Amino acid sequence: MGVSFPCTKFISSIPEMSNAKERKHAKKMRNQPTNVTLSSGFASERGVKLHNGGGKPFQAQQQEPHSGTSQQRQTRMVPHLLHEPDMNEQSSSKIMFKKKGGWKAGSDGTTQEIPKYITASTFAQARAAEISAMLKAVTQKSSNSLVFQTLPRHMRRRAMSHNVKRLPRRLQEMAQKEAEKAVHQKKEHSKNKCHKARRCHINRIQEFNRRQKKNIWLETHIWHAKRFHMVKKWGYCLGERPTVKSHRACYRAMTNLCLLQDLSYYCCLELKGKEEEILKAVSQMCNLDTGLTFAAIHCLSGKRQGSLMLYRANKYPREMLGPVTFIWKSERTPGNTSESRQLWIWLHPTLKQDILEEIKTACHCMEPVKSNICTPNPLLIPSQEESQSELADEKIGKKRKRKDDGDNARSIKKVIGDGTRDSCQPYSWISPTTGIVISDLTMEMNRFRLIGPLSHCILTEALKVASVHTGEEDTEETPHRWWSDMCKNPDSVSLHHRQEAVFELLGGITSPAEIPAGTILGLTVGDPRINLPPKRSRALSNPEKCQDNEKVRQLLLEGVPVECTHSFIWNQDICKSVTENKISDQDLNRMRSELLVPGSQLVLGPHESKIPILLIQQPGKVTGEERLGWGSGWDVLLPKGWGMAFWIPFIYRGARVGGLKEAVVHSQYKRSPNIPGDFPDCPAGALFAEEQAKNLLEKYKRRPPAKRPNYVKLGTLAPFCCPWEQLTQDWESRGQAQDVSLVASSPSGEEGDLKRHWMPPATEKSHQSSDEVGTSVNDPGEPEVMDTERQDQAGAEMVMDQGAGENHVAATSSQFCVLRSRKLLKQLSAWCGPSVENSRVVRRAASRGQQELTTEARLSILDRFPRALVWVSLSLLRKGSPEPLTMICVPTEEDFLQLSQDHHYCGPQEARHSDPFKSMILKQKEKKKMKRRQNRGLAASTGVAVGCPAAGQGALTRGLWSGPFPGVISHCSRVLLGFVTQGDFSMAVGCGEALGFVSLTGLLDMLLSQPEAGRGLVLLRPAASLQYRFARIAIEV
Amino acid sequence: MAENREPRGAVDADLDPVEYTLRKRLPHRLPRRPNDIYVNMKTDFKAQLARCQKLLDGGTRGQNACTEIYIHGLGLAINRAINIALQLQAGSFGSLQVAANTSTVELVDELEPETDTREPLTRIRNNSAIHIRVFRVTPK
Repeated sequence: MGVSFPCTKFISSIPEMSNAKERKHAKKMRNQPTNVTLSSGFASERGVKLHNGGGKPFQAQQQEPHSGTSQQRQTRMVPHLLHEPDMNEQSSSKIMFKKKGGWKAGSDGTTQEIPKYITASTFAQARAAEISAMLKAVTQKSSNSLVFQTLPRHMRRRAMSHNVKRLPRRLQEMAQKEAEKAVHQKKEHSKNKCHKARRCHINRIQEFNRRQKKNIWLETHIWHAKRFHMVKKWGYCLGERPTVKSHRACYRAMTNLCLLQDLSYYCCLELKGKEEEILKAVSQMCNLDTGLTFAAIHCLSGKRQGSLMLYRANKYPREMLGPVTFIWKSERTPGNTSESRQLWIWLHPTLKQDILEEIKTACHCMEPVKSNICTPNPLLIPSQEESQSELADEKIGKKRKRKDDGDNARSIKKVIGDGTRDSCQPYSWISPTTGIVISDLTMEMNRFRLIGPLSHCILTEALKVASVHTGEEDTEETPHRWWSDMCKNPDSVSLHHRQEAVFELLGGITSPAEIPAGTILGLTVGDPRINLPPKRSRALSNPEKCQDNEKVRQLLLEGVPVECTHSFIWNQDICKSVTENKISDQDLNRMRSELLVPGSQLVLGPHESKIPILLIQQPGKVTGEERLGWGSGWDVLLPKGWGMAFWIPFIYRGARVGGLKEAVVHSQYKRSPNIPGDFPDCPAGALFAEEQAKNLLEKYKRRPPAKRPNYVKLGTLAPFCCPWEQLTQDWESRGQAQDVSLVASSPSGEEGDLKRHWMPPATEKSHQSSDEVGTSVNDPGEPEVMDTERQDQAGAEMVMDQGAGENHVAATSSQFCVLRSRKLLKQLSAWCGPSVENSRVVRRAASRGQQELTTEARLSILDRFPRALVWVSLSLLRKGSPEPLTMICVPTEEDFLQLSQDHHYCGPQEARHSDPFKSMILKQKEKKKMKRRQNRGLAASTGVAVGCPAAGQGALTRGLWSGPFPGVISHCSRVLLGFVTQGDFSMAVGCGEALGFVSLTGLLDMLLSQPEAGRGLVLLRPAASLQYRFARIAIEV
Repeated sequence: MAENREPRGAVDADLDPVEYTLRKRLPHRLPRRPNDIYVNMKTDFKAQLARCQKLLDGGTRGQNACTEIYIHGLGLAINRAINIALQLQAGSFGSLQVAANTSTVELVDELEPETDTREPLTRIRNNSAIHIRVFRVTPK
């Protein structure tokens, strides 16, 4: 505090100091250098006398500042002395006190004598230095609090932080400075516009357009931004989760009611061309092994939506690109192969870049410049350059924004669709050889997803099929030319009525899961804003509609007829006109207010917009045995610009809206992999994992070491990412070692026996497992050989084998892949279940020509997929709810034994590991300290040399494994099999559930070694826990 | 819910399992009134019984008690539905009566092709169901 007391006053104030004040003062003086321990002013004086013989007062002065503290300490020790007003008297009394023996002299313990005399000048000088030190300490603000915060409570006043004048005058100056600083730190509002001007419609739209230049806004953005936590992801602004607490409510909506999601950020690629040409091009990118391809007959006719995995052309099973869904436009004249077909591929935005490039390559549409063959715009490139140069110019100019305003003042329009796309950037490519046109239809359509059984009711209530124009009305010109044209064609009208009939039938079906998976229905509907209910309510199914008639039965059995899948949304021109001729909300509301009877139905007649839409059924959970059809629903495709016009009516019918988090929950309960997190073999998945690891590490480092788990001690090598590469590699070398030793001529039995004697404890298990194999195979000759062989590999020769394995790896494949062959997955899923439980399963499996689980079968699979991962779902047997990055481990024999004996046995515990890095880090710290000290002592010239190693040591983080991992799979007491990627308590099942990947080699090994009854049991251990928990593994195809 | 076994064998016989995957669809359901109870084999028996009892008893003071409830069981769950109804009756000291109806439910099995050239097929399979009306009679 900037208080300057006159010296005399200060001195006299010392003895008067109250206890509290004195303590405060002591606190302040604590920071003073105190290498002189306990010496009073006299002692120092005596020092002067003793050391300098009274001749040199210079050094004594130097020491004086310290004596201040010592004196202060004295006063604290003998508080009763404080009442003595006079300095001299005080000191003398002290001496007297000393004489009585109550006070020990300074640390040296020398007895003190009463000074005979005091030199006034030295004494005064000493005090002056003391005072100056005190003053200095007082003026320095020790804490980083604001001025008014340092005031004692009784001096505080209301609104002190705003009004400087409420502070004591001596502090006002400082407070003023602080207030100014705070003002500078605050974000500046745009000065040029007042609040009212900023709220003005044109300015707002301009501002909104500017803000969505970098990250695209969906059409429902503003609605979402008011209610959701927004994140910037994948180039979009997306709602992550509602701000209201609604995790369970959203689950209930998915199960019993209806959850609405805006999936407009999904990208759509359009392929146009001859059917056979398209099929030829894209068939390289998919494989029948993973399921149906683009050529599946029901998808090709346009009747159903298909879904598949895309790979780089002819690279299956490696180089995965990502999962997509696709729909073909139904052909008008079936059987005519020369007709141009349209194919839409819908995909997640993270996959778009790779897939688009690959499709372009496959269709030979490599260069976008080629598009000038069909689209006559050779001026495209120069114009692009021009615009770029213009942009550059504008950027240089300071008032760029203003200039823009001037240019676009008349044409400020809401950005519809992709606001980030440069209009000159090509989004359509053509191939001169095959004639295929690829266009990027991202953001050209809206895609809303309705999940849950109520979605039928919501759809049928919210959407009303467009009315057909009769000839008489057509005399006046309406903007909906295409519709009146259509209405003149009796075929189209009859088709429209058929579509309407099918749509009406939907209202009588209580769950979307009853309809064939992927059914497509095209429709043309009227403006949904017109029959918006005045209040939000829940649409309820009408029991009268639910009559069990023949038509419904037909629909359930055969789905929507092919003709009814036709929709005008496939036609770009019509979509464009529909978007442009939308009546604005303002106009609509004005018309409504002009109605003669307020609140009555608005009738627009032929002026009402007709919107072509496409409904696509989304099958819910189709794999596995339980909860079939959970999470099924409908996707609605709309032309752009109409998003909010449909969004609000859906919500007014009782749909609850979910964000990205709800999408994750949906896919988790469906036990389907989530895009892109659960596709570790595609580039987007790798990128996702990298980002996740980075975020988690950052979060981890934010906590102090004592408040965060020490992952080294917990035996978790990789707590933030899943080292798939190393996992598969380790398992492969382990498996290969076994195989190599199996194939090679066996050494003599004695040798094996010898090895068994000094076998390290780690190999004990493999020994047992091989025994297990022997019994299950029931081969009398083989087990013994295998026994010794396994020990061989598990023993000392591990290193050599690993080397051999590595060579093999380099020869066959360099990367891991995810097993997606349906045949193999089916076989695995049959092996995973406990087959003893019911013999019917076995019989069925046998009748389907499935093999028994044997070593031969294992080898044949591993030959094809040496480094593969398998997508598995895990449900916990007893306690525990897993989290992502939980480790999946192989249980040992003892675990099984204990599980069967003890009904409350939760699982084994991992022994605490030692942390070799902790001491290293400590040592480094010591070194650093030493060096710093040395630095301080030495000249700065050495500092450069010292700095280098210190920087290198910074990589070590306490509690994390540093450097390359040792064997990932055998780091802990249970052998590592894989990792969980999604896991939580599942409200659908009522226990913990997890989804993840395990190594194929490891899984087969484990299944072979496990007893039939407990087959498919694994252990789960979260990264930050030592407790293993039992879970059952299942593969659902 | 459990399925009938005979038709399955027939399906297996004339269709190559390599070419088709069987996917069972949900049974067609009518909209549910509050007093409809569909019995399944997964939920605990006691819990289902308690649920029915609660519906019949109403709230703490019995203000919105149902005078009748319908218990539906399909396939394997028929047994359990009967069991629940009888338990309710036995525990009511004669104030509840049951009336059973049986019916046949058509179930749809979808056969998903494994090859591109085949159309997906649907099969209809019949299964028996029971609908038990449990209602209150005024004791004399």
